Amino acid sequence: MAVHSESGSQEKKSGNGLNELLTFNAENMQNNMKIIYYSRTFLSIIGGVVAGILGFTGLKGFVFYLLLMAVTSVGLVAKAKFSIPTYFDSWNRVLLDGFLGGLMSFVLFWTYPSLMKYDNISEV
Amino acid sequence: MALGFAIGVFGVLILFHAAYSTIQYRGLLKITEEEFSGPPFNVIITLSSLNLLTMMRFLLSNLWFLGSQVVTELSLGLVLCMWAALTVPGKFLSIHPDSEENRIVSLPANVDFMIFNHRGKVFPVEMDLKLKQ
Repeated sequence: MAVHSESGSQEKKSGNGLNELLTFNAENMQNNMKIIYYSRTFLSIIGGVVAGILGFTGLKGFVFYLLLMAVTSVGLVAKAKFSIPTYFDSWNRVLLDGFLGGLMSFVLFWTYPSLMKYDNISEV
Repeated sequence: MALGFAIGVFGVLILFHAAYSTIQYRGLLKITEEEFSGPPFNVIITLSSLNLLTMMRFLLSNLWFLGSQVVTELSLGLVLCMWAALTVPGKFLSIHPDSEENRIVSLPANVDFMIFNHRGKVFPVEMDLKLKQ
């Protein structure tokens, strides 16, 4: 016989913004945020290497990063099958989260390809 | 999941190869004593996939030479890495507490202490409960 039981995995939390339900499953919410963070960080690093190879300098690199993050946002929204309220409590999370953290990684890896041409890195 | 991971690694390897080709190309330019201003025109065209025309024109304004091989490699590597980044980390899980896959119906672990001959037998039986595997 099946019974109802309260397990620790479902912690109820108040939502706000676009979520019309007042509670949501926080563990799944955290899982979704983790996925967004991993995706954005990986693509920031790859984008940094590509920008370095292409020889972007100055403003061009940041425009390229903006473009990359826009494409990532579109990809994440498509991954959520365009129904954001099912997986997140607000649009800002999927569109803006991880943007500035990825920027730091992008700038770091942006400098690496220009260092690769030197035989002895200590001379840079 | 392993396939997505492998595709991501493959995309990164393609990018590394493109980087190496670019470095070799810059060495060649040094020999011929020309200035390096960017990868080949092809690379840029293939890399840009969005329709934001002003941004595109800005980015493409001075990138006009790098081998077409590096271009295709960069674009292919970027597309593969994008696909891997969106697929490998895992699926989105629904956060509605009352959706079908968030049921928390389960049997207690200690079935030895379960008794059924109690006052709960006067409640109506819910026939739509399911055991969560």
